Amino acid sequence: MNRHIKLLLQRALINILILLGAFTVQTCVFPLLPMFSAVPNLLLILTFSFGFIYGRKTGMLCGLAAGVLMDLFYTGPFGFYCLIFLYIGFFNGIFNKYYYNDFIQLPLILCAVNELIYNFYIYVLRFLVRGKLDIGYYFMNIVLPEMVFSLIFTLFLYRVFLGANKRLDVIEDKRGTNVA
Amino acid sequence: MDNKTSKYMLIILTVLCTALIVISSVQTGFMDPLRNTVGYVLVPVQRGVNAVGTGIYNKLEEHAELKNAYAENAELKDRISTLTEENNRLRSETEELQRLREMYELDNEYMQYTKVAARVIAKDSENWFEVFRIDKGSSDGIEPDMNVLSGGGLCGIVTEVGANYATVRSIIDDESRVSAMSQHSSDSCIVAGDLKLFEDGRLALTKIDKDANISDGDAIVTSNISAKFLPGILIGYASDITIDSRHLTKSGNLIPVADFDNLQEVFVITELKTDMLTDSETPEAQ
Repeated sequence: MNRHIKLLLQRALINILILLGAFTVQTCVFPLLPMFSAVPNLLLILTFSFGFIYGRKTGMLCGLAAGVLMDLFYTGPFGFYCLIFLYIGFFNGIFNKYYYNDFIQLPLILCAVNELIYNFYIYVLRFLVRGKLDIGYYFMNIVLPEMVFSLIFTLFLYRVFLGANKRLDVIEDKRGTNVA
Repeated sequence: MDNKTSKYMLIILTVLCTALIVISSVQTGFMDPLRNTVGYVLVPVQRGVNAVGTGIYNKLEEHAELKNAYAENAELKDRISTLTEENNRLRSETEELQRLREMYELDNEYMQYTKVAARVIAKDSENWFEVFRIDKGSSDGIEPDMNVLSGGGLCGIVTEVGANYATVRSIIDDESRVSAMSQHSSDSCIVAGDLKLFEDGRLALTKIDKDANISDGDAIVTSNISAKFLPGILIGYASDITIDSRHLTKSGNLIPVADFDNLQEVFVITELKTDMLTDSETPEAQ
């Protein structure tokens, strides 16, 4: 039991570090790159990947952590991003039962759907309420580019997470047999 | 079983988030202690990563620029001669301007504001917003509502301050509204950020009275009656002014002076309008 908790903590720590890394890259490095007309949403990719790979609870916790980071960074009501990331983590966790190691199509579809929902949430609550009605324009110029970049990054990152996950599984299995 | 606990978790966390949203909307400073604490950890990291990123970016830029340098050199030599000529003409005009200024006691006020230089360390990753973070905070004397300049023009306003960082909303953000006026006629208008217009590098210029004397090319500065912006800071130049369909107001575009594509260093004016303000506030614009 004790060993189990230790392993859990270890995983949690690694995941928090990954989240912080993604957040830093997303806010400090990507905006500097002129060839990126839009910034891929790394935190969103992380949240839905974790939800999809590990299940609802981990997805929710990861989403909550990502949301807190975003909320801390921006002014405005605290909890705005927490809420949407929380739900994204949860709902992608539902698809956990369709999770097979080398099945990349579903994550890509999920990524596109998540981007749509996430941006729609921002559009409705921050733009539509102020009477900015031209949803078509915003879709073509903001949502679509971000979606394309996020999809490309999902292709890479999802594999990386899978690899990391497998490796952690192997390490944990080894330790388990050693002790037993 | 596991499904149930995760559903309960979702419900509890949703309620928690909603409560937080409500509380922090009502009481804006509510989360500041937490934001501040996290700032202590995160800002040095962001500053470091940003320094490395900027370094690499500048190196690449330099390399690319060297290629263009030869062609540019020849072109520039040509321009020097034209400019020298123009310079002579302008110099005489400057003297005239100086004389006129003294006459009207119109000292260019914002040259005298005290400023603090700051580095942009992080930008909003959301493509929806134009918000960035600088590496100076309350320990350097920065306070909310201080005006931020870049490239000789108004760039934004400080919205939130931590001990070692401050968040700035730039004037091109879709939610930004600046009360402004024409420099030469003092007719008032509103400079509004607009996500759509900024694709062409412009801002919206609205609420101009139909009789106001503002035409294309006029310098637009921050207004005397603004509650948060210091008076007389150059924002940009008016363009495409047309009369609105209802024939009551005019509107158009504004070409900003500050360069928003490549923000690396900005200046924060460490004086607040509220300290100067005696009366007259605009409820609608800041």
